[in-house]
Amino acid sequence: MKNTKKRPENKNHYVERFTKGWAIYIKNPMGKAGLIILLVFMLMAIASFFVPLLGPVYDPMTGADPNITYSTGPSFQHWLGTDFIGRDLFVQLLEGAKVAFIVGLSCAFISVVLGTAIGMISGYAGGIIDTLLMRVADIFMVLPSLVILLILASLWELSIWVIIFIIAIMRWPSVSRIIRSQTLSLKSRPFIEASRVAGASNFRIIFKHIMPNVLPLAFLYMTFRVTSAILVEAALSFLGFGDPGQVSWGMMLQWVWSSGHMFQAPYWLLPPGICISLLTLSFYMLGRAMDEVLDPRLRKEGEGE
Amino acid sequence: MKTKKFIFNKLIEITILFFIILTILFFLFRAAPGDPITRMVDPNLTPEDIQHLIAQMGLDQPAWKQYIIYIKNFFTGNLGHSFHYGAPVSSIILNRMPCTILLFTTSTLLAAFVGVFLGKIAAWKKGSRLDNFLSIGALLCHTLFIPWFALLVLWILAYKVGWFPLGGIISPELWIRDTSIFIKVLDVLHHMFLPLLTLFIIHLGSYLLLMRSSMLGVIKEEYIITARAKGLSNKVIRDKHAARNAALPVITSVGLSLAFSINGGALTEQIFTWPGIGRELIFAVSNNDYPLAQACFLLITAVVLIANLIVDLLYAYMDPRIKY
Amino acid sequence: MNSQKTLDRLLKNSLKRILFTGLVIIILCMILSCQKKNETNLLKIGLPQEPKSLNVWLATDGNSRKILSQIYQPLYTRDPKTLKIIPWLAREDPVFNKKKLAYTIKLRAAKWSDGSNFTSDDVVFNKKLFLDFKIPGYASKWKVIKKIDIIDDHTLVFYLKKPSAIFLSRVLTTPMVSKKEWEQIAARAKKTEKPLRSLQNHIIKKPLGTGPFMLAEYKKGAYVYMTKNPYFFGTGKKIGNYTLGPYIDSILFKIYGTSDVAILALKKGDIDMFWWEIQPGYIKDLKAQPDIKVFLNKKSALYYMGFNLRKPPFDDKILRQAIATLIDKEFIITRILQNYGSSMRSIIPSGNIFWHNPNVRQYGLGLNNEERFKTAYELLKNAGYTWDKEPVISEKGIVEGQGIHLPDGNPMENFVILTPPADYDPKRAFAGMMIQEWIRKMGMPAFARPMSFNSLLDRVKGKHDFDAFILGYGKLNLDPDYLRAFFYSKYDKPRGWNMSGYNNPGFDKLAKKQRSIIDEEERKKLIWKMQAILMEDIPYIPLYNPHILEAVSKKRFKGWVEEVNGIGNIWSLCMVKKNNGKEK
Repeated sequence: MKNTKKRPENKNHYVERFTKGWAIYIKNPMGKAGLIILLVFMLMAIASFFVPLLGPVYDPMTGADPNITYSTGPSFQHWLGTDFIGRDLFVQLLEGAKVAFIVGLSCAFISVVLGTAIGMISGYAGGIIDTLLMRVADIFMVLPSLVILLILASLWELSIWVIIFIIAIMRWPSVSRIIRSQTLSLKSRPFIEASRVAGASNFRIIFKHIMPNVLPLAFLYMTFRVTSAILVEAALSFLGFGDPGQVSWGMMLQWVWSSGHMFQAPYWLLPPGICISLLTLSFYMLGRAMDEVLDPRLRKEGEGE
Repeated sequence: MKTKKFIFNKLIEITILFFIILTILFFLFRAAPGDPITRMVDPNLTPEDIQHLIAQMGLDQPAWKQYIIYIKNFFTGNLGHSFHYGAPVSSIILNRMPCTILLFTTSTLLAAFVGVFLGKIAAWKKGSRLDNFLSIGALLCHTLFIPWFALLVLWILAYKVGWFPLGGIISPELWIRDTSIFIKVLDVLHHMFLPLLTLFIIHLGSYLLLMRSSMLGVIKEEYIITARAKGLSNKVIRDKHAARNAALPVITSVGLSLAFSINGGALTEQIFTWPGIGRELIFAVSNNDYPLAQACFLLITAVVLIANLIVDLLYAYMDPRIKY
Repeated sequence: MNSQKTLDRLLKNSLKRILFTGLVIIILCMILSCQKKNETNLLKIGLPQEPKSLNVWLATDGNSRKILSQIYQPLYTRDPKTLKIIPWLAREDPVFNKKKLAYTIKLRAAKWSDGSNFTSDDVVFNKKLFLDFKIPGYASKWKVIKKIDIIDDHTLVFYLKKPSAIFLSRVLTTPMVSKKEWEQIAARAKKTEKPLRSLQNHIIKKPLGTGPFMLAEYKKGAYVYMTKNPYFFGTGKKIGNYTLGPYIDSILFKIYGTSDVAILALKKGDIDMFWWEIQPGYIKDLKAQPDIKVFLNKKSALYYMGFNLRKPPFDDKILRQAIATLIDKEFIITRILQNYGSSMRSIIPSGNIFWHNPNVRQYGLGLNNEERFKTAYELLKNAGYTWDKEPVISEKGIVEGQGIHLPDGNPMENFVILTPPADYDPKRAFAGMMIQEWIRKMGMPAFARPMSFNSLLDRVKGKHDFDAFILGYGKLNLDPDYLRAFFYSKYDKPRGWNMSGYNNPGFDKLAKKQRSIIDEEERKKLIWKMQAILMEDIPYIPLYNPHILEAVSKKRFKGWVEEVNGIGNIWSLCMVKKNNGKEK
């Protein structure tokens, strides 16, 4: 009976779930704060596309101010000052925001797609496939990503997209575990049984029935992947193994350190680090607040279904 | 016994995994461009000299031959000679390992203890200002960017205030003369303070949060309500009953988050120029010193694998539902 | 109730405990700082990185050489002021017999640091060692020696196979090791499968040397401690116009991980000298310190842009000349080097007064931006280059060109200028970026690409897979024989030094000839001609020669000797003495 009515209800069902979730989310102070900070950074990232258009002086890589040949403090023309070649630090910060978003979101997306797919297949299939996939996941989860990236970066020239891809590959296991256990619990639900009896192929069952129920969780874990991706890329750039043609926050810190301005230029040292920490913090808060939405046990007493 | 079989199986698995990683790493290094010789930008060396050096370093042999020699040597403890230093890799590693172990274990233990202690308090007083303060503080610690934080610590405590040295592990002036062991130990501790502080703060956050959420879960359990009904004081319930059980996931998380700790450790060692394995790895990797980089990486891998085995065992031991 | 009281007491106790430990820590720190009394005659030098090895055959890095050059000494060396070759372990200038191609050399009565004598036997042993093991860098130079006859303990005659211009300047300036110490080691190493490697991997705790200092202790990762060699042959003697000491008792080389930390240590007084060049960014702050003295010296260095002459269109001389004209060298000096450097007019730096040819062809010298652009434009236009949108030069200014076409009509393809990354060398990376901008104004599709140093070298030197690059040699030998190494056609092979693929038979002839001309004036004529050819064909565009900036603390020591390539040299270490407050 329920099956026949399912289709027209689907859309409304999602919207309803979303609005209910949103109401719970927005009541959470962490969620609110996280969202606000995130918006600020998004504005920064968007601005990074437009500010260089103001003039060649504002290009993050080559925009050396003709009048300034060394690192200077904040001024009217350069809100955060300049680096040791005379490039505007604020523009670099904006560019860094853009890169952080790209890196964080792409890594998270790829690793979540991978992790979800593998988790679902593993949980649904069971048996040898399950054991094998989970073993592989264990291996990847255990290895320190930064160290591996270091070794790879020293051997080959890694462009920013290769770095993103490698980080994503190292990070899918944790997602897949959660998805897998969710899949396992869903597997035995009656509506899945019903579909199987009705003759639906495995593929259809996985992607049409299990996936929608698993997605919110996947989305949640995406936020946690973002934080670690940003941190790892920043660490890699900091050590000097990042993409040399790309300005990022980690690269900015690498420059302040290696050009010897670490102790003399707080206006250069502080902003990138604060930004990295704030951005990862905001994603984390976002994730935690969403956690409460999805997991009713974590909500304060009095709320809930 | 079942556990014995389990341990044995796991050990075999780890060993196989280890050798797979070793092999992959070995061929990876040789597949990539750039070797130490091309870095010698010295007009004095003629191509013939370069060829001679390559032959002497054994790099002219086909890769699979080099591999067999490497494996053979591995079992006798000979990890090759560092391309950069010329000294045997094993001696370099033995020289650097104590420094890393010292820093690492001290910071982890301290962070775990204090994290558990504070997390327990935070959970117990959930919703209070103390709890909010601790939680937010822990969150901030958890999301700090390690190199930046380390630089900040260095800048403020070592440079501005000047109470602590700017890096390294010893003050040479004290060691070239005959000073007592007591002073020497003090010197090392003095140098260790800042990297220790950095690692401590960074790891404190995650342990605190973990302990807190674990405690929250435990507090709701039946036996705590029973204990309260019995009339036991809050503190006793908190410490003897709830915390004991809540602490277990934290302990296991030490093992699981080892990968994260290693990343952080390497970065910290680099900034404080603490002569440990992490710093050596970064340096070796920058210099294309394959034997040394390989050995450092394998050491880290071995530690991680063994730690995870221990964690798996602990899980099995603690949770009677899991059967192997 | 009871438990509450005990708990309270526990808490109070723990507070007390914390206070107590805090107090203890403070007292301990104070004890520690009292211990670090400054030893009076100990010179403290900061090193930027750990020395690679103290084995002289393996140590090719600068930091190892800094230490080893105080221990092992050569027969001849260069005068710090005149740069001429002067006798060091040898007693006087060699006597040359032209007919027999023989050099008679008399040795000083020098001693090794254990008191034993330095004799001709040692020199002969060194030659045998170099050639038997084919030691890189040494064997190739010493193989020109046919044989060495020992006349007595302090007199030798070297017979050469053919006349060599570099015999004095490159061969006899090789540091000598002790036969007594290395004989056994060499014999053992020869029996192994990889003799050179065994030799290089050998570790000597207290190496014997004839230099001013001996190695007392090497603590890996932390420091190197050297003490005065009582048997140093130069003590009290006047060599190179300096009455040599050393006037200090010992040197402590402290190893720092980064320049930042080392400079802070310098300011604090933890070290007396930082033996490494300092980035211009620090100089303003250092000059403002009353206790710090900053030294500025010329370097024998070459930083340049190279082309791949094997790959069209870079085989076209006119194109290279046009690019050379477009480069604003003044900008590089004032902006990138922040005025701490000089522009280079030839492959041989101008500081090398004798060999440098000041009359070579210059590109864009003395012209402003517009004039340079015009010159380059005319050069290209007359050679048949065309544009999609031709540049226009008028009184109102320059309109940039777009889409340049080669004389054969095809558009120029995108080309990449490889540079080291900005953190490795900001100067080269940034020069690349600016050159890209300047060239693009002429419609050339240039892209500057920073690349990790290893990959860069592999592509440029190993695989020859590149269009253009910016590299440099920080320490060029004062003898100009490297012109041959860089441009002789036979060195155009993988890992060879002729990275650009320059192939000019006329040049080859001159390069080969100059190697065997012993008369300096005669040789100079050829070297000058070679430079003229190179600046006409311009396979490398010399860009800049940075000055070397170094700093010392005036508080305790004075007497640093400035030389080409800075104050970090053996003369300084032999001449520094305590500063009794008189130094301004």
